[in-house]
Amino acid sequence: MFVSDEDLMMKCRKGDRGAFELLVRRYQNPLINYIHRFIDDYHRAEDLSQETFLRVFKSASRYKPTASFKSWLYTIATNLCRNEVRNRSRRNTCFLEELVEEGEDVYHTEIMRDTRYLPDVLLEKKEQRQIIRKALTQLPDNQRIALTLVTYQDLRYEEVAEILGCSVGAVKALIHRARQKMKKLLIKAGIGES
Amino acid sequence: METYKRVEFPDAHNSECEIASRDELSAYIDKELPAWKRHLIRRHLKKCDVCANDVQRLQHTDNFLRHAGDVDVSDGFLDSVMTRVCEVVQHQRQQESLWTRIRRGVEVSLGWLPPLSTLSGKLRYNIRTRSPVYISILTFAVFTMVGVTLYQPSGDKFGEEVRELDSEKLISFEVIQQEPPKRLLTTYLQPK
Repeated sequence: MFVSDEDLMMKCRKGDRGAFELLVRRYQNPLINYIHRFIDDYHRAEDLSQETFLRVFKSASRYKPTASFKSWLYTIATNLCRNEVRNRSRRNTCFLEELVEEGEDVYHTEIMRDTRYLPDVLLEKKEQRQIIRKALTQLPDNQRIALTLVTYQDLRYEEVAEILGCSVGAVKALIHRARQKMKKLLIKAGIGES
Repeated sequence: METYKRVEFPDAHNSECEIASRDELSAYIDKELPAWKRHLIRRHLKKCDVCANDVQRLQHTDNFLRHAGDVDVSDGFLDSVMTRVCEVVQHQRQQESLWTRIRRGVEVSLGWLPPLSTLSGKLRYNIRTRSPVYISILTFAVFTMVGVTLYQPSGDKFGEEVRELDSEKLISFEVIQQEPPKRLLTTYLQPK
């Protein structure tokens, strides 16, 4: 029998750790992928996912079933990711893009040129994923969040609006702009231009 | 490697189309529009090549992005989350006072843990956050109760007041009765 997230959360409020474990099982994969796409660092993504689940557990008593659990979870994760990005910029942690000289295309780095000669399909897929991830990190925060949540986490526009604290119309505009920019970035990356 | 094709389309859509704005085309491919609007856009796309090309490109970008693939969660992730949860619970229990532990034990043994704990928690929260309001309401309630208890009117005085009221009523009734009837307009018009 399928138990909804909200019911599991209500059980969790009463101290049912089994219900919480089920919630972690359900969301561990999408959450880590979401955070990974946001901050582009797998190990840190795992840490932040753990932190997100811990926060959910700690604030279970404040959870109200009127709000969607999914939106609540992604709101917590988004706030953590934003903090992470802010802290990184304060610590002057360099992204790959920042290492490239101004005016030079990020995708024409040595790494990309090297992998071009590898015939293995798996490696090609990996390269493609890497390029998409790098392109995603170039988007402004809100556009990246909106596009990632809609494309990869299959959230509705209303849920994204709830997470970002804006209107559905604004989400529409964000997603459209993000897609347009991604299109330009992918073409600029020169992956298989025809 | 799968290619992301650059296709040159006429760039004639600087101005918005009558029916479909650019933002709505993205919402259209995400199936986020109401049925009537989707129907309108579908009809519009049959006529407008620029918008049709735009939708095609957006769809293409979306499909390409979906190829990004997922990363796998490490095996020990769930265990480490649950371990940390156990640590949090233990820490919370250590932080609890002796009184809270005794009360919880009693409540659990009596089987009324959820309602009483919720009630006491709410009360504590309310007193902590809205103490000035609570104090003023409580003060008012206490003063009212004391006032009502101390006020005891004597029986004689009360009887006299009632009698005075009755006589006033009678007087007023008589005054009304003694008023002369109003003269009608016809009495003025009658020739003397």
